Amino acid sequence: MNTVVCLKQVVDPELPAWDFAIDPATKRQVRTGKPLVISTYDENALELALQLKEKVGGKVTALTLGPAGEVKDAVRLALAMGADEAVVIDDAEAPLRLGPDKAAVLAAAIRRLGAADLVLTGCESADWVERSVAPLLAEMLGAACVTFITALETGAGTVTVRRTAEEGVHVVQARLPAVLSVTSDEAIRPRLPKVKDIMGAMRKPVQQWTPADVGAEAVLPPVEVREVSVPQRTTRCEFLEGDPAQQAQALVERLQALKLI
Amino acid sequence: MYRAVDFRLSDEHRVVQAAAADFAAREILPLAADLDRSGGFPQEVIRKAAEAGLLAMTVPEAYGGAGLDAVAYVIAQEELARASAGVQTIITVNNSLVCEPILRFGSEAQKRTYLPALASGRSLGCYCLTEPASGSDAMSLRTSARADGEHWILNGTKIFVTNGVEADVCLVYARTGPEPGARGLSAFIVEKRVPGVRVGKIEHKLGIRCSSTAEIVFEDARVPKANLLGEVGQGGRIALATLDGGRLGIAAQAVGIARAALEAARDYARQRTQFGRPIADFQAIQWMLADMATRIDAARLLTLRAAWLRAQDRPHTREASMAKLFASETAMWATHKAVQIHGGYGYIQDYPVERYFRDAKITEIYEGTSEIQRLVIARHTIGTRT
Repeated sequence: MNTVVCLKQVVDPELPAWDFAIDPATKRQVRTGKPLVISTYDENALELALQLKEKVGGKVTALTLGPAGEVKDAVRLALAMGADEAVVIDDAEAPLRLGPDKAAVLAAAIRRLGAADLVLTGCESADWVERSVAPLLAEMLGAACVTFITALETGAGTVTVRRTAEEGVHVVQARLPAVLSVTSDEAIRPRLPKVKDIMGAMRKPVQQWTPADVGAEAVLPPVEVREVSVPQRTTRCEFLEGDPAQQAQALVERLQALKLI
Repeated sequence: MYRAVDFRLSDEHRVVQAAAADFAAREILPLAADLDRSGGFPQEVIRKAAEAGLLAMTVPEAYGGAGLDAVAYVIAQEELARASAGVQTIITVNNSLVCEPILRFGSEAQKRTYLPALASGRSLGCYCLTEPASGSDAMSLRTSARADGEHWILNGTKIFVTNGVEADVCLVYARTGPEPGARGLSAFIVEKRVPGVRVGKIEHKLGIRCSSTAEIVFEDARVPKANLLGEVGQGGRIALATLDGGRLGIAAQAVGIARAALEAARDYARQRTQFGRPIADFQAIQWMLADMATRIDAARLLTLRAAWLRAQDRPHTREASMAKLFASETAMWATHKAVQIHGGYGYIQDYPVERYFRDAKITEIYEGTSEIQRLVIARHTIGTRT
């Protein structure tokens, strides 16, 4: 089973809110000087791919798109966790690209890698939360697509997946090749790599291509970001006067007025 | 072309830092407050640390270690201590005070017997130097070892032994000859399961509460001759060389505690509002935070310099003492300021800074008090090295 896992480096979503800033010129989150991490669900996708490899064999390739200097750590971590190969598409423009734009480059890279049975992505990125890369990739690669999966089992030319749905769980069978977007689950909590494996990963080669190398055609972005802003939250504190009974009455009236009860 | 001093971490050191930070965030931080309150030994955390390769970081891969250098070691220790100084103490003792001397002074057989077990977590190490009557004056210790056929017979009492309760492998210093001071000392690898070794009083501590501190009593303990570490009479040298490395671990621990205190104080100051604005807007608070940040950076740089010298196999006794002295006093000072910035909230257990404050104190005491560090530095400065 040949699996390609797409990993995205994002500004650490655990950073406190005051560290979040938007560059007004690019209308994108400021990345310079911020710690970058693999987007949360992408790590789940990688863990799922590694568990599949341990069960049925095959190869796991970690693929990432971004400025090479910034994103190499992501694939190094993937190698330390157990991925067999790592590919960086060096693209300084990547942080400006949105889903369709990005999917076009990734699809070209996956075609160049050749013979992927499965392509796994996180179900959404921690920064833009577009949820679009997996379906777009499937379309571009002519592959089946299932989103929000937490587990999978491969058969002859097929993959059976557990898909998280609002009302419960769907069990879905898809033909291969398939693009699957992965959500979180305790069973696919990303493993912590051993220090020894991290050092080993530093010595493994990382394939580096440009979008032109993989023959990605420039896509005119179908979506343009016009404005991005940080929501301004204002809080107001009001003291209710009177004895406890009056305060309770006043509180009930306020909550009813706000249609909260 | 001048070769500049380079303050950037190498790629390798950066990834080790990230890995240790991830481990700390996921496996230690969520438990840190509870471990401090309960004082229970974090068995599961230590098992996972072993799995991650954190228990024998500088031991070569051939003996089951992670094969890293001293710089990687201190970088990782800072990250671990930032989450829990108690957990990091357990780990640093196993690394610096037990694996390192076995690696540096042990026979091939000793390395093959003990290092893989200490690296994998099958064994845990402890360091038995201090005695009731010999603390800072360590070389006057009285525990005795006399030869008896194929064994050494050990008698004496060691106190304040970190990991003393859980450890299986003890590095023990004992007097083997009539010569006074360091020259009469030898070092032994003692398996705690041998008859005649028992855990005595278990201490209750101000900080680093999830690590055990115990008395270990040797009563006619029979230790195989093969377990002498180095040569007879080499104990003093081994002890001092080991403490150079140990002090790096404590310096990094102090930096980690101080950094945790700074981060907590900064976060608090940004969200705590008084007189209609965040207290971080007040210069009184800003100056405290600025001084904390500056001293912590200085402590870290001293620690990295000492670690770099060790990694290059260059003399580093003076630099390790400076790092340990400055970092530990910075930790005490910075945690004190962090409590102050938190006001009343700093004094209660709902916030972590009172734990940092309690944990910081030990760094000025163990592996050589601040006074002993000053003595070491003074000897190197003035030129009297005896």
